[in-house]
Amino acid sequence: MNISECMKRNVISIPETYTIRETAAVFVKEHVGLLPIVDHDNKIVGAVGLRDLLSLELPDFVNFITDLDFVHDFGAVETTRPTPKVLGASIKTLMKPPITVHEDSGLLRAYALLWQHNLHDISVVSEDGRLVGMASRVDIGTAILSSWSKVE
Amino acid sequence: MLTSAIFASLIFIVSLIFIFAEKIHRSIAGIAGAVFMVGLGEAMGFYSERAALEAIDFNTLGLLLGMMILVAMLQPTGFFQYVAVWAARMSQGRPVRLFVLLGSITTVLSMFLDNVTTVVLIAPVTILICEILGINPLTFLMAEALLSNTGGVATLVGDPPNVLIGSAAGFSFNDFLIHSLPVVVVVWAAALIALRYLFRDELSVLPSNAQAVMSLNPAESLDDPKTARRILLVLGTAILLFFVHHLLHISPSFIAVSAAAVALIWVQPDIQETFKKIEWSVLIFFSALFVMVGGLEAAGVLDAIVGLLEGLSSIPPIWFGVSLIWIVAALSAVVDNVPITIALIPVIRGLGEAGIDITPLWWALAFGAGFGGNATVIGSTANIIVATLSERTRTPITSSIWNRRGLPVMLLTCAIASVLYLAFYKAF
Repeated sequence: MNISECMKRNVISIPETYTIRETAAVFVKEHVGLLPIVDHDNKIVGAVGLRDLLSLELPDFVNFITDLDFVHDFGAVETTRPTPKVLGASIKTLMKPPITVHEDSGLLRAYALLWQHNLHDISVVSEDGRLVGMASRVDIGTAILSSWSKVE
Repeated sequence: MLTSAIFASLIFIVSLIFIFAEKIHRSIAGIAGAVFMVGLGEAMGFYSERAALEAIDFNTLGLLLGMMILVAMLQPTGFFQYVAVWAARMSQGRPVRLFVLLGSITTVLSMFLDNVTTVVLIAPVTILICEILGINPLTFLMAEALLSNTGGVATLVGDPPNVLIGSAAGFSFNDFLIHSLPVVVVVWAAALIALRYLFRDELSVLPSNAQAVMSLNPAESLDDPKTARRILLVLGTAILLFFVHHLLHISPSFIAVSAAAVALIWVQPDIQETFKKIEWSVLIFFSALFVMVGGLEAAGVLDAIVGLLEGLSSIPPIWFGVSLIWIVAALSAVVDNVPITIALIPVIRGLGEAGIDITPLWWALAFGAGFGGNATVIGSTANIIVATLSERTRTPITSSIWNRRGLPVMLLTCAIASVLYLAFYKAF
């Protein structure tokens, strides 16, 4: 089995002209964890995850304190929101290089990439780099596990 | 002899340029300079490997290493987090109270631990507390660095220049408590009041969520209370022994290394992890500077400088001391105070040989090197550390922000130190 057999073909993507505010609205509406960013030709140019947007709100001390168990109340941080200026910036400021696999990629290879890059979803592209699908950790993982029933 | 002196000076000056330019790491510049100095000395016959080894002050290195090992073991226990969280609760979220408490804790810790270590360990928790309160951490981070630099001057072990001066002049731990501590207490109080005034706008902002800090539990923030207790007991004993080391005829470095050995045997930490936290680059940098200055002495450079300075013996020593405070402070404001101190130690010794009473000069050197670093963001490593940490917060500390607060503090502390120095000159 390869990735094209378990991926979702109806992929939500955004153009690179979007602002951070517009991108956040797409995440909320579509309830997804990763948005591929495509050019006018549907070629993937990058990706942005929920994690990237949330980093704008995550307090700085998370980077410095290794064990946060003793902090029971985040206090003022809970109500801190990014400024209008930050939200109006281009999504390109948060965009990451895309991690992609080709349609004919094996499942374990795709899973290994997710594992290594600590991702939940991976974009699937055609030979010419066009976005054709998206596969989640669950899609790939359950597809791999389904083959276990055939083990005698 | 003159050729040797010229070449040795050239090596030292070029190394210092590289060290101060900070284009390459100071330890690399130091090692290169030391190797050149020994090589040239061997070739020209004024210096040898044996003499270079003898030039290294193992008293200083041992004291620094011993304290570094103790702190490296104390750090993962969460003790520093515990102290800062305790301060936050005591402050009940009131900014001025938090400012005084965190400032005082940093000062006391930096009297016994290296300033850099103190700031590295307290600053992250400070950011946590400020963000929970919804107040700007910049004020607190700057105050911590400035007060830690100031507090470090008080004791023999508080600051690397003091370790160097103590070893060179033969000052005991108590000598520092008698001569330096009283000055630091006055200077520190003035610095705290000045900072309270300089940050009056920031400190008048009321936290949006003062109650949140009350949910912080100090006991939970202490990750390993058993190990913390053991290391604090060893550290406390070492500090007590520092008070009487001259009576017991043992050196502070022997006490520090012994304390580290006892703590290592008692706690038996993961030795690789512990040694990773030791600042080996600092120890190597010190050794390299010792080797270079040893070369300068062997080549007769320092004799020549002392010869030039002999004319100054007509100046009253009291004014000589005050000038030294300000010259060293001005230099320390823009460059690392360790090379300045190491380079000035043989010069002061030379002045002693020329008949000048140098005991007061050692104290002037300690005050200048300690208080001078407050002026600019690059003046001390503690300043650089809080500025670097602040870059990851919403309000980075810039050079101009630092100059507006740090420079007045530096001028005030040096002025008060000078006045006390003049008033109580006979005691120094």
